[in-house]
Amino acid sequence: MSTRWLKFCLPLLLAAGMLAGCRSPSATLKVGSKDFTESFLLAEMYALLLEDAGFTVERRFNLGGTPVAHAALQKGDISLYPEYTSTGLLTVLKDKPLGDAAAIVEAVRKGYRERFGLVWLDPAPFNNTQALATTKALAEKHRLATYSDLAARAGELRLGGPPEFAERADGIKGLQRAYGGFEFKEFKQLGTGSLRYEALKAGEVDVTVAFGTDGQISGMGLALLRDDKNFYPVYQAAPVVREDVLEKNPAIAAALNRLAPLLTDDVMAALNWQVDGPDKKEFAAVAGTFLRDRGLLKK
Amino acid sequence: MLEAAYGYALANRGMFAEALATHIRLSLLALAIGAALCIPLGLYIARRRPLWRELSGVFSALRVIPSLAILFLAVPYLGVGFAPALAALAVLACPPILINTEAAFRGVDPAVLEAARGMGMRAGQMLWRVEVPLAAPVLVAGVRTAAVEVFASATLAAFIGGGGLGDFIYRGFALLEPPIMLVGAISVAILTLGIEGLFAALQRLLESPSGH
Repeated sequence: MSTRWLKFCLPLLLAAGMLAGCRSPSATLKVGSKDFTESFLLAEMYALLLEDAGFTVERRFNLGGTPVAHAALQKGDISLYPEYTSTGLLTVLKDKPLGDAAAIVEAVRKGYRERFGLVWLDPAPFNNTQALATTKALAEKHRLATYSDLAARAGELRLGGPPEFAERADGIKGLQRAYGGFEFKEFKQLGTGSLRYEALKAGEVDVTVAFGTDGQISGMGLALLRDDKNFYPVYQAAPVVREDVLEKNPAIAAALNRLAPLLTDDVMAALNWQVDGPDKKEFAAVAGTFLRDRGLLKK
Repeated sequence: MLEAAYGYALANRGMFAEALATHIRLSLLALAIGAALCIPLGLYIARRRPLWRELSGVFSALRVIPSLAILFLAVPYLGVGFAPALAALAVLACPPILINTEAAFRGVDPAVLEAARGMGMRAGQMLWRVEVPLAAPVLVAGVRTAAVEVFASATLAAFIGGGGLGDFIYRGFALLEPPIMLVGAISVAILTLGIEGLFAALQRLLESPSGH
């Protein structure tokens, strides 16, 4: 009788124990990302570091643009995701741009905590500012070196960029206000991924929206135009975490803040290029190798 | 919300007109390519039954590949923009046209053909005077199905820089602004319904005995 009881109930007991075991010491953290290489890389690094710190991690990557990722974070569908300081300031908080990097961090920390109950951890030093790039041949042909040059000659040029660039305050409309001109012959809406560079290479567009740490800029030998009126502020990436999740799991901050200082402009651009360049490595592999090489993973 | 969508379309009139024109141009061209390829092919395989058994499998398989995948697969070969979108949509247009064309010609009563031959018609005369008029309603029904699929799916072109009304849907999603999304969604729906209505009318015209 007792053995039959054991036979029947032991698996149930074990299963219950396993479930409880999963839940008690370490919560499940849901790491999100936006829909481009650098966001994938950063989110994967966060996920690996958190797993290394003993958390169970669920990856919910490729959440589209900023509003989608932010909405997911607010609803609790994700616990954290990498965001850029000035994107938070301009797109989410809808504040005025600030010039000083430290002031931007302070402003988003305050605004996010008060309005959304979200916390910004330490930002990495690299600046993934928005930029405008063209090929060296086109830059020479149209005599383009600065944004002012481009603003004046936009009428004969086609611009490629992510869909939100048509509407965002730090997109075409902001450029038009800051520089005047910037009336492009055509705006070709392309994804946030490397499609923009494919279009530039194929001659489908003449100028493309770029991001400062895109590997293609040096990899493809592109000409980056100079923002001569300093329109674009500094965009540093940091994990944005739900306050309630962080309070219950304070170890998150320690795990992720170790990574921040290592990610400089050159390091980030090189990591992006490993994924987007001819090597075409998987972002998960690139993230893992980098963390192991820098000795950030125990396992 | 609808008011905001209307306001956005009005404020971006030029952009909207261009997106609409691109959407129509892309869809009609894809449909024309699909029809030019698949109507003759359908007629050919209707006359060679054994071939159909092999080909129908291929075309059924083609149907289940998501259009978005075809779109992305075309990018390395055709680049970004109009050309790969056109290719993907033409592939999408093929199965319904082909399947209906084959069925339409196969469905022509052999007794009618026998009678035509008995009247001394040559093969060309039989095709144009007997087979085509009899097959037309079913054939047009295939083009109608293809048209609805193509006009609705042309929104996907926005993912690879092909333009069209999908640009507004994609942009509205990226910005999480439903009114912008609606500008694309509503106009695609109206456009698709209009095309469907047009082909339905053509089909009725061909079905009515006075049609020929």
